[in-house]
This record gives sequence, structure tokens and C-alpha cells, in this order.
Amino acid sequence: MKTLAMDGYRPRAPFLDELFEPDGSPRPAAEALVGDLNRLGREGLIEAGRRRDAIFMQQGITFETSGESGASHERPFPLDLVPRVLSGEEWRDIKRGLAQRIRALNHFVDDVYHAREIVREGLVPWRLVAGCSHFARAVHGIRPPGGVYTHVAGCDLVRHSDGSWKVIEDNVRIPSGISYVLENRAAMARLVPELFASYRVRPVDHYPQLLLGALRSVAPSAESEATVVVWTPGPANPAYFEHAFLARQMGVELVEASDLVVRDDVLYMRTTRGLERVHAVYRRLDDDFVDPLEFRPDSLLGVPGLARAYRAGSVAIANAFGTGVADDKAVYCFVPEMIRFYLGEEPILENVRTYLLSDPEVLEHVLKRLDELVVKPTGESGGRGVMIGPHANEAEIARMRAVIQAHPERWIAQDVVRLSTVPTVGPEGELNPRHVDLRPFAVFGERIDIVPGGLTRVALEEGSLIVNSSRGGGSKDTWVLEDGDDADRAGPPIADTLPPALPDLRYGTWSGQQQQQQQWRAASQRGNVERRAS
Amino acid sequence: MHFAIRYLTEYRYDAPVTDNLNALRVRPATSSSQRCDEFHTRIEPEARVSRHLDYFGTEVLEFGIPTAHEQLTIDVRARVVTSEPPEPPDGSWESLGSSSYLDAAGEFALPWQDQPALLGLDELHEALETDSPLETLELLCELVPDRFEYRPGVTYVGSTIDDLLKMGAGVCQDFVHLSLVLLRRRGIAARYVSGYLWAAPEDGGADSLEVDTHAWLEALLPGTDGYGEPVWVGADPTNRRLAGETHVKIGHGRFYADVPPVKGLYLGGATSDLTAAVTMSRLDPQASARA
Repeated sequence: MKTLAMDGYRPRAPFLDELFEPDGSPRPAAEALVGDLNRLGREGLIEAGRRRDAIFMQQGITFETSGESGASHERPFPLDLVPRVLSGEEWRDIKRGLAQRIRALNHFVDDVYHAREIVREGLVPWRLVAGCSHFARAVHGIRPPGGVYTHVAGCDLVRHSDGSWKVIEDNVRIPSGISYVLENRAAMARLVPELFASYRVRPVDHYPQLLLGALRSVAPSAESEATVVVWTPGPANPAYFEHAFLARQMGVELVEASDLVVRDDVLYMRTTRGLERVHAVYRRLDDDFVDPLEFRPDSLLGVPGLARAYRAGSVAIANAFGTGVADDKAVYCFVPEMIRFYLGEEPILENVRTYLLSDPEVLEHVLKRLDELVVKPTGESGGRGVMIGPHANEAEIARMRAVIQAHPERWIAQDVVRLSTVPTVGPEGELNPRHVDLRPFAVFGERIDIVPGGLTRVALEEGSLIVNSSRGGGSKDTWVLEDGDDADRAGPPIADTLPPALPDLRYGTWSGQQQQQQQWRAASQRGNVERRAS
Repeated sequence: MHFAIRYLTEYRYDAPVTDNLNALRVRPATSSSQRCDEFHTRIEPEARVSRHLDYFGTEVLEFGIPTAHEQLTIDVRARVVTSEPPEPPDGSWESLGSSSYLDAAGEFALPWQDQPALLGLDELHEALETDSPLETLELLCELVPDRFEYRPGVTYVGSTIDDLLKMGAGVCQDFVHLSLVLLRRRGIAARYVSGYLWAAPEDGGADSLEVDTHAWLEALLPGTDGYGEPVWVGADPTNRRLAGETHVKIGHGRFYADVPPVKGLYLGGATSDLTAAVTMSRLDPQASARA
């Protein structure tokens, strides 16, 4: 006798549950799914979970987590077997809202490195922009091909208890997670095919093709087909799996810095056939590390001269250098203003209420309410440094207060958002409400395309609001239901070819040369030669 | 004053190197008190040089030598005319908070990136309490060389303010970095200046000197109350004075790393031996000892 998976499931007020009404009955769109889950039963879910872990470990779909102790270990990427379901109508609003937001962010990046109109209008303070840790002076005045900076964007959305969607943060540097969206879908179809029986779910597997299309569309190659590469910092990077996955799916080379060289302001890749010109780079490392001549001089991962090639317009870089200025958490507060200013539209998606701590009055107010608010460092991503007031103890709050007071401009505070919940499989196969967010992936080339759904991240611990996979979060397959309208059509598939492996070429190490500035004082002209002009 | 400047840099490598990429910030700027009339560069082995203005408005010359070589020569010549800047304005402390001041100051008024919480810094800060920003700037030009010894070799190109405070000695680059922190703590916007200094001995005399690139600073001083815009005023804490027509500016930035005269990277394990010399010659008739 099977145990019904949904037995005893209760949505937890005041949070909105996406599959169940507050009274515990399934929402209309979820009825068939709930029935199918019940038929699987707890035993069926446990069994499917076992197969999932075995497959993920075998395929290397893992994530490195680090505990409080700092020790890190690999574990199978935790895919929860209950999908999240979004109606076609709901998705259309999200998609419109995101496209609007990303267009505005792209305008902002362009503006910040050129005319600074939004600053001159008095809408965004210049000191805030110039104070951003990711403001990249090295790319001032450089406009990339097509004027596109934010080729890949992954804004994080949450659903409030009133049902509205809000943007909690923007990610326009190197957002990761798309490989899990694709792998999750493939795994779900294999592990629990019965769940798909009653639904028409929009496909997601055309993402690599969208990305390749966007990269080719911005690549400066008039004469021939553009050569695109994926640049990874290397296997030690936590997202290396994704880098390799995307390169393989697009059928392009996966390269590291030692495979690349700049000659006469043109980027080349070393191959067994000699140097081959590269027109577009999908880079998966931060600005700091891309070019030791222009960014961090101690970077060993970078390609000297790359910023030069980029300035010369001979190569497209995705995302463009300097986009980090647009996803700074203090700049986030101004995105609704950007939408009004650059696009003349009202924002479709709202921000979460945010407090800028550089204002002394706001700071005072926030310091009194630290136990009710979320505090985040402005220049970080991936949940690093975040403190959730209601979940922090007194000592943590006191520590945070001191840190904020030392550098208020480096922090923001936000209201706690009541993240919606979705039933999630527990250790005994039982279902419990767990909080989720959503990271849809948008690709900006000639236009903005957004893959239906995105990565739903789920906080696996009861009551937890931290969904970051680096901090114990899991994920869910996200279904956008086909309703016959506005389908995201996929073009012809890319051949699933493996790129030829690059030989491990090492050409010695880079050395730096700089002269210290020193000037003998007039009074101590020891050893200086004086010469009479003839 | 009218100068001819020759800045000659030679690197010798003990084994062949390739892909030698360099960026030069060596061209004298043109401003209200300075004009660069002639400017030439010669690179050996020969290389195509591209130019652009950086974020701070400094002209950058870039070149790369892809093929193997064991020596690199960078030969820069310039002619420049300078004039004595106007008297610095003596505005009040209160003016530092005005919106016109803050707009002009921009990011140069922001707190130093990683504010060193160092022993000794507070004491220096307090010693700089005066009646006006100009007085503080003038006092700073005495205080820093009084407290720190000018001694080449104790610090290196990447030294921090920390190092200067610990060693009690450094070179002009270190003196300027410390001065910038102190000025900004007082609310005075300040920036790093790279250039050449005509460091003639007190009695005048020389027509030609071997010098080196030099660093000083510019502080934004508020206009005399009620009148005028704030003005960037050059000050040279290494030489105990405000900058004048003996100072030939190349460009400015937040700190050294924004305006390094020569910055480069090459591929290969070789070590390099550097000789760099700046020769300045006066082209106008030698005046008698300047007042």
C-alpha cells in the first residue's frame, strides 16, 4: 500500500503556496500534478531520488558546497522532484517585465561609460556610480558591437504573499545556473515521465542555440562565420561544469587564458594548426581577472592586451567589461528610475523596498531595525555576506552594526520578502512547503530572448529563505505551460558535437615591468649629472 | 618655462621574450598653465603605436612586440611650455560641503578605497587642523617630509601607505598616497599627479638635468567665499611647496596605478634589467635665480 505523497501537506500562512490554495486544496492548474504525485507516492519519490543522485554523480552534475568550517565537498546538484508550474499568462508578464528591465540596465551601462545623462539629470548620484567596486574605468568610452553589454542576464525574482512578482537582485556579470535548467528538465523527463502526462510544458533546450546566435550576431566578423569561444577560469571554478556544458552544447571551444593571445589588437586562440582568430568570447570570469594590463595586475588567469583588442573593436566580449556597475546592489534601487528615464515606460516588475545606507537618516532608521531587515553588501553576489535580521542572533546583529557603521556606503538593507513556497520532497518522501525564488535567463543579441521558466532555487531547510546553491539550496524544474499563444519557438537544433580537445600548450609565464616613481629632491641631487647645453 | 624632455627607457632581458605589451603615459598634458608643442616616440624593435585618452583624460600610447627579442628601447621626446599657475584661492572649510564643490570633486572626494586604520594616521590627521583648506594643504607639504625620510629603495612600485608608515621612509609616490588619504579625511578632494620636475638646485645654474618621473598631487580648493569655482591646486609634498612652472604634468588619477608612466608585460621567464633616464633641458634663456 502506497502512502500518498501529499498526505498532511498544509501551506504555511502567511506565505503563498504555488500549488495549493490556503485551505489545502490544489490550485486548478496543479490538480493533475497533485494526482500524479500521489500516485507515485512517497516510496516512488524516494526511489526516483535515489536514481537521480546516482545519475548526477556519474555525469558530474555536482556542486561544491562549503560549510561554516570552510571545508568544501562535492554533492549531486539537489534537484527536487516536484516541479514548479507557471501559467502561460503569468510568464508573459514576467517576460515583458524582464525584457524591459534588461533593456534599461543595458542603457545604463552605456550611459555610465559615455554621456552620463542619468547623472546629469540628477537621477543617479555620480559618487554612487564611481564608488561601485565594479565600475570599470578601463572601458570608459568603449561602445561594444551592437551597443549590447548585458548579453546574458539572470535577474532573481521572488513572489510575494500577495501574488506579485518582484525583482530581488539583478545579475548582469556572469550569472550561472542555466546548465541546471537544461539538465533538470532532461532528468525529470527520465526520472518521473508520468508527471508530464497531463501537461504541455514549453521546452528550454534551445538555450545554447539562442546564446550562440546572440554571440554571433555581435561578433565583428564581416567576411566569414564568427569564431566563438567559451572562456573558463579552469576546472577549479565551481561552475566549470556549466562552462564545459555550454561549450559542448554550442559546439565551440572551451578555452583558458593560456590558449589565448592578443597580437596587434586582435585576439587569437592557439590551435594545433597555429593561431586562429577569435571574434566573440563568452567569458565566465570577473573583470578583475581578464587582463592584468588593465585590471588586476596580479591576475594569472587573464589575457594581457584583451582590453586593447576590445577597445579596437576586433572582438566581442559577453558580457561586456564593466557591466558589474549595473548589478551593484546600491544601483539596484535606481532601476525603476532607469526604466522611466531611458524607456519612458512604467516598470512592469517592482523592486523590493530597499534602503540606501549612505544617507545618514536612513542609516539611523535601519540600524534600529536590523533584526527585521535583510542586509547585503553592495558589490557581492551569490548570497555572500548577507544577513537576514529575523534569523540572526544578537551577537551577529551587533557585529553587523559595527561593520555597517564603518562603511555604510558598502551596504544596503531590504525588507524581508515573504517568498512563496512550493511542495518539496523531504527525506521520508513526504512533502513540505519550502521557499523558492526564480532566476530566468535572458539572452541579448539582436533582440532579447528569455527561455521559458528559468532556474527555480529552493531553500531545503524548513523556514529558510536562503536559496543559493552555494549555501545549501536546491533547485526545481520550472514549467511554463503552453497555452497556444506566444510560444517560444526553437530553431533548428545545433549538432551535438564535441569540440576537439586543445593540447595543453604552455608558453612560459608572464612577467610585469613597471617603474616606481621617484624623484630626487632638489636638495639631494646625489649622483645626478648636470650638463651644460652647448 | 620652456623645456625639452627626453625620457629613455631600456630593458635588457637575459633570454628572448615575446608578446611584450606596454602602455605608456608619458606625454605632457596641455592645460591652462602648460602646453605640449612637440611629442615623438621611438620604439625599438619597431612597433605600431596606438593612442587613446583614458578615463582620466591622460593620453595612453600602447604597443606590442610579438616576436622574440632581448632588448626593448622606449625613447620619448617632448617640448613643453609651462607658466606659473594663479594664486590658489583661500576658501573656507564650510565651502567643502557645497554642491558645486562636491560636483567638481566627484570621486576624488570619496574615502580612500581601503582606509588604512593605522597607528599614526590619526595623529597626522589632527596635526592638519587649520583655519582653511589652503593652510592645511601648505602645512601638509611641510608635515609629510618632516615626518618621513625620502629614501629610494625602501619601498617598491606596489607599496602601500602601510609600508610608508611602518618604514618611516619612502619616495614621492608614497608621500603622495599618504597625503591623498590625509586630505580626503579632511574633506578636501585630492588626486595623484604624474609628471616631470625641473629639479634645479636652489641657485639655478643648470641648463640640463638628469631627473626621473615625479609624483605630486592636486587638491581641489574652494573658491574664496561667495566667489568663483573651486580650483585644482598642485602641491608637492616631497619638495615642500605648491607645484609651479617647474612641474610638467602628464596626467592624474586616483593613485599611482591610474597613471603609471610605463606599464608592461612580456611572455617568457627571463628577468629584465632596466635603465630609465629622464633628461630635462631648459630651452628659454636662463633667467637669474628665480624668486
